[in-house]
Amino acid sequence: MVENHSREDHETGGENKEKRPKFFINDHVDILIEILERLDGRSLCVAASVCRLWCTIARNDSLWENLCFSHVSPPPSSVRSVVLALGGYKRLYTGCVRPVRSRLGRVRRASWAGDEVQLSLSLFCVDYYERLGGSNSNGRLVEKSSPSSLMFLCKPVNV
Amino acid sequence: MVLYDSATLGGSCSGSSSSSSSSKPPPLQQRQQTQQDIDGLLAGAGYRVRSSELRKVAQRLERLETAMVNSPADLSQLASDTIHYNPSDLASWVDSLLSEFTQPPTCPSEFIMDPETNQTVVSDAWTTAEPHMPQVHQNISYEQQSLNNQLTVVTAMEEDSGIRLVHMLMTCAECVQRGDFSLATSCLEDMQGLLTRVNTVCGIGKVAGHFIDALSRRIFQGIGGGTINGGSAYENEILYHHFYEACPYLKFAHFTANQAILEAFDGHDCVHVVDFNLMHGLQWPALIQALALRPGGPPLLRLTGIGPPSPDGRDSLREIGLRLAELARSVNVRFAFRGVAASRLEDVKPWMLQVNPKESVAVNSIMQLHRLLGSDLNRNSPIETVLSWIRSLNPKIMTVVEQEANHNQPGFLDRFTEALHYYSTMFDSLEACTVQPHKALAEIYIQREIANVVSCEGSARVERHEPLSKWRTRLSGAGFRPLHLGSNAYKQASMLLTLFSAEGYSVEENDGCLTLGWHSRPLIAASAWQAVSDGTADFPA
Repeated sequence: MVENHSREDHETGGENKEKRPKFFINDHVDILIEILERLDGRSLCVAASVCRLWCTIARNDSLWENLCFSHVSPPPSSVRSVVLALGGYKRLYTGCVRPVRSRLGRVRRASWAGDEVQLSLSLFCVDYYERLGGSNSNGRLVEKSSPSSLMFLCKPVNV
Repeated sequence: MVLYDSATLGGSCSGSSSSSSSSKPPPLQQRQQTQQDIDGLLAGAGYRVRSSELRKVAQRLERLETAMVNSPADLSQLASDTIHYNPSDLASWVDSLLSEFTQPPTCPSEFIMDPETNQTVVSDAWTTAEPHMPQVHQNISYEQQSLNNQLTVVTAMEEDSGIRLVHMLMTCAECVQRGDFSLATSCLEDMQGLLTRVNTVCGIGKVAGHFIDALSRRIFQGIGGGTINGGSAYENEILYHHFYEACPYLKFAHFTANQAILEAFDGHDCVHVVDFNLMHGLQWPALIQALALRPGGPPLLRLTGIGPPSPDGRDSLREIGLRLAELARSVNVRFAFRGVAASRLEDVKPWMLQVNPKESVAVNSIMQLHRLLGSDLNRNSPIETVLSWIRSLNPKIMTVVEQEANHNQPGFLDRFTEALHYYSTMFDSLEACTVQPHKALAEIYIQREIANVVSCEGSARVERHEPLSKWRTRLSGAGFRPLHLGSNAYKQASMLLTLFSAEGYSVEENDGCLTLGWHSRPLIAASAWQAVSDGTADFPA
């Protein structure tokens, strides 16, 4: 039984090799986007280092928008213009949403999910404001180039 | 083998000399090692004790006597001849006997620290013990145990020094209150000496150091403030910014006030916020963003920022206004800014704010109202004047954030004690911050507050913190009624605190107000108020 099976495969395999085209995911960008949309933040960053096409797609802000609002109901459309003005979803996610979520995840309160994003947005806005200060003023305020008000999020958490 | 007479121990070393003079001469190597500093008088009695160790040996003999007298065990076991101790090497003999008695070390502060060498006594005795002495081998484990003991004793010593520092601080403050400046000065010198023995990098040592500085400033430079109050506005802003980054108190203040203002402005299209201390304007981006995203669209937002005038012709208020305007433009919020430069809040007059009667006004005071509580003899407290013109603006909401402390008591000692507790707690919470230079500069910011509370009087003392209960009475008496801050503010504050990596912060709700504290000691309180509309003030019952 097994021998028959393998012989058939061998015969059909040989024929199919010539008839069926190989499937390259890079030829089907829409499917690729669908897949990448469902990745988490870390995997998306890893995906961005696969090849140039993946990098371009992974940098698309809408993918990161999905990540930001993955646990909550879709926000009103006005949010998008605000976020884009303040620096984009990728920056919002990596700078605020992810650290906020991981810190608050320790506490595990389900009712906070929507407020996490709200809080992240507020912190993001303060961060944008500080970045404004670094570039515009005459070295009066923030000497460091990296935004400082979010540094408390980047500190390792000592439990 | 040498026997000893336990009954004749205690008191002077020479008490039992007659029964224990060593009959055999010490071996040659031993003599060469120890000949330099052996005490001559005791050597005549047959004891070899180094002169440098005399004091320690005497103390330990006293302890041995106490231990033997108090020991419940049968002392006859010591007389057994299976263990040999040579009492002519008095230091090690006493140590080995003490090890029989004491498991936990007693009276740590008096015997372990040698003030001259600042080293522990036990290590001195054992590291220089002659190698051929029989008890060295069997007492190696004792050395380990005594080293462990010495570590715990050193920590106990340090705690002890910390407690002594606090007591001396209180004594010194009491002297200052009495006017006894000579005694206070000697107290200060003692404390400065004690400071060298305590860890001043963290804990009580650091706080005590700041308070000692403040006290010496008061005693030697007088109560006029001087260099503490002379810091430029630019310096103050930088320190404030680092304090903002290092710990969550200001962030808590901003976010809570913003939430209250946002809720108060619900449904209004023309809103005006008056900020009593603009600084870098870090509070307002979050409000602008929240207004941008509110259902129904953003209102027209006007912001009036009050701040000190900038000395070198640069209009710092305007710069901040421009930054905020740029942010508002990015998020499509119609925005207008106005700066009011005033070196003191009581110099601001309501007409400078140019409040339009059609707009809804919010007044925001983050740690500013307490500065108005000072009263000169020739005029009343400016607080009443300011509160009455605030009321005349008929604000939709007034957000007040103040330090939760009682630093405005007339008696100096009470104020000092309260400040010591408050700022110790605050420094404790600051330990959790590891990001430099925020932490160091935040400490300087707090240090300036301490110096003002402790070393200034009269109009120079501006840090006149009062607790929430007093503010409630005062504001109710001035014609305001409290607004409850609501569960959204509480939730936001709790979330914000969870983000900070230190686990000691706590948010509490206090009858509609929120307080943020460290380990259940509230340090900062946020409240919201609305002017009573019928024109008559609510007098407290």
